[in-house]
Amino acid sequence: MSTQHAQEAARFIANKKQEQWHNETLWQVRRKRDRLAMDIPEWEVLREWASGIKMHTLSHLDRYLERFAANAEANGVKVHWAKDGEEHNEIVYGILKERGVKKLVKSKSMLTEECHLNPFLIRKGIDVVESDLGERILQFMDEPPSHIVMPAIHLKREEIGELFEEKLHTEKGNSDPAYLTHAARQHLRNEFLTADAAMTGANFGVADTGDIVVCTNEGNADMGTSFAPLHIVSMGMEKLVPDYQALGVFTRLLARSATGQPVTAYTSHYRKPRKGCEMHLVIVDNGRSRAMEMGDHIRTLKCIRCGACMNTCPVYRRSGGYAYTYFIPGPIGINLGMLRSAETYAGNLSACSLCCSCNNVCPVKIDLADRIYAWRQSLDPIGKADKIKKGISKGMKYLFSHPSLYRTSLKLAPLLRYMPRFLLYNNLNSWGKGRELPVFAKESFTSMWKKGKVNTHKSKRS
Amino acid sequence: MEKREGQHTQIKTVMSSKDEILTRIRQTVRTRYDMPEIKPDFMAYGDKTARFIEVSESVGGRVVIAGKGEDINDIIRSLYPAAKTIASNIPEITAATFNPDETETPYALDGTDLAVVRGETGVAENGAVWIAQNVKEKALYFIAEYLVILLDAEKIVHNMHEAYRQIQLNDYGFGLFISGPSKTADIEQALVTGAHGAKGVTVILTSTV
Ligand code: SF4
Ligand code: SF4
Repeated sequence: MSTQHAQEAARFIANKKQEQWHNETLWQVRRKRDRLAMDIPEWEVLREWASGIKMHTLSHLDRYLERFAANAEANGVKVHWAKDGEEHNEIVYGILKERGVKKLVKSKSMLTEECHLNPFLIRKGIDVVESDLGERILQFMDEPPSHIVMPAIHLKREEIGELFEEKLHTEKGNSDPAYLTHAARQHLRNEFLTADAAMTGANFGVADTGDIVVCTNEGNADMGTSFAPLHIVSMGMEKLVPDYQALGVFTRLLARSATGQPVTAYTSHYRKPRKGCEMHLVIVDNGRSRAMEMGDHIRTLKCIRCGACMNTCPVYRRSGGYAYTYFIPGPIGINLGMLRSAETYAGNLSACSLCCSCNNVCPVKIDLADRIYAWRQSLDPIGKADKIKKGISKGMKYLFSHPSLYRTSLKLAPLLRYMPRFLLYNNLNSWGKGRELPVFAKESFTSMWKKGKVNTHKSKRS
Repeated sequence: MEKREGQHTQIKTVMSSKDEILTRIRQTVRTRYDMPEIKPDFMAYGDKTARFIEVSESVGGRVVIAGKGEDINDIIRSLYPAAKTIASNIPEITAATFNPDETETPYALDGTDLAVVRGETGVAENGAVWIAQNVKEKALYFIAEYLVILLDAEKIVHNMHEAYRQIQLNDYGFGLFISGPSKTADIEQALVTGAHGAKGVTVILTSTV
């Protein structure tokens, strides 16, 4: 997308050691998730229920939204509706402006990222402070998150140490995570206590009660909303669940899937504004209702943004979030990008070997790999496969250096066309050697290609 | 072209965004799926208290069982000997140095070393404790450096399904599950406690019988 992304991807992949660290660290998170999931005998039943509840809610979203909004309003929450990101931003700014808000403290929200809220508000003169530690770090660096749950996972402690030296005047050369975290605690506490408004996302909206449920480990959403007299919630309309019984299923799945924790440190239920304060809720469509028209792709909307699919994805782990051109990376990002604009984001479809690992970890059972396959199939016949080629970012090109990652993709005719060019630049690396035996070794594949022996016709999916 | 845009604006003014969104959903949804039958009757733990303690400790929390006839104030003082400002609105907590409900604003709670509050329901599967707001300013749960939650040992349930059948919000309209101290792993996945909220959480299990 932007040159910044391309540069970041290039930087990321240029650093072998960091790439390896990224890969292994995320794999550890995946393993923690496995341990926690295995600790719950009914895990698979929960996933099945979660998927069923989401499909039910999405396919009755009109009714649930009405019920939810009516309950929220009865609770004293002011409800707003935004068709798109622009309207969302205008609504938020309108609320802030009317109350003369100068400083807004935010907790992590992928939706506000999606709507590009921060740059919009900053242009209007609002001091926007991200309060999740990872997000704050990235805000200091003026970079977007590279993972939806662990936004700064691509950074090393030394980089953060240097950044904090400059921004928070921490000790020179001290990059101890505890030291840096506590420096940020001090700094952000001051921001919480001086903010005029707090903004949060929503993990879940409960139709039956009007509750907005926010899950964090840091407690930053709670700190923000406990002081400022104004709380604005920005919520994608697919976040609804019918009732507490359903919520019980999701709160069991979310943190276990996301970080391998039994539950987040804080699971906060916001139902009413604080005494004497205001609470506003902005319900956002921004393409979600359009996505509901796209046949089976409606399933993508079940996502609860746990990030498990990223942690398990061999392509994501090896390439980092910035290698994708949509702001949400990994298996879910590939799909959400396609829902946003197939034209713009088709390039990300190449970032998948169809290993199906993402399908198996997704707590709401989105068939992410099948969706990707379906997108590829739908693009090729209408001659749009070229988009995949055009859209491939630098980072993705690098991935073509790993035939093992691509052994399944190799069977896909549309991609096969561009493989050899990328393969020319690269060598098979240790990941390929160590973990999976490639179907073709590089040389033989290339020579086969040259001799025209490679079957470019569609073959069955493995 | 101009005309078209004009028409568009007209439609906009007639139809609110709410109506537009809801109408579009009604038009686009093709298949309506039934709600799955949810029967969460999993009774996983023989000893719920033991599981609660084990998980609480695994997430960086601490659980102390108050012995029969033991004064909770003594336990609190021995756990937090350095705490100078101790907030509690629970009458029996004489170790408290002030009543947080008597402060004018949440800002006045800044600088609280320790807060002592009551929890309603403990969850064995994940060590979480449900609190329906029971102090004037919810800020207390987060701004205190350390947090003590008093929980009746009889009020521990197996899992979140059971918890959600019991919990209720009161007139404050806020409630939360707390599981262990505030934490982050945003720097290189190194786990650090005390990100923004309490640096340490102790659940004191009391028994009413
Ligand atoms: S199927 Fe594709 S997107 Fe999913 S984990 Fe495998 S490589 Fe990643
Ligand atoms: S698609 Fe599934 S695994 Fe991926 S973030 Fe969403 S809920 Fe989690």
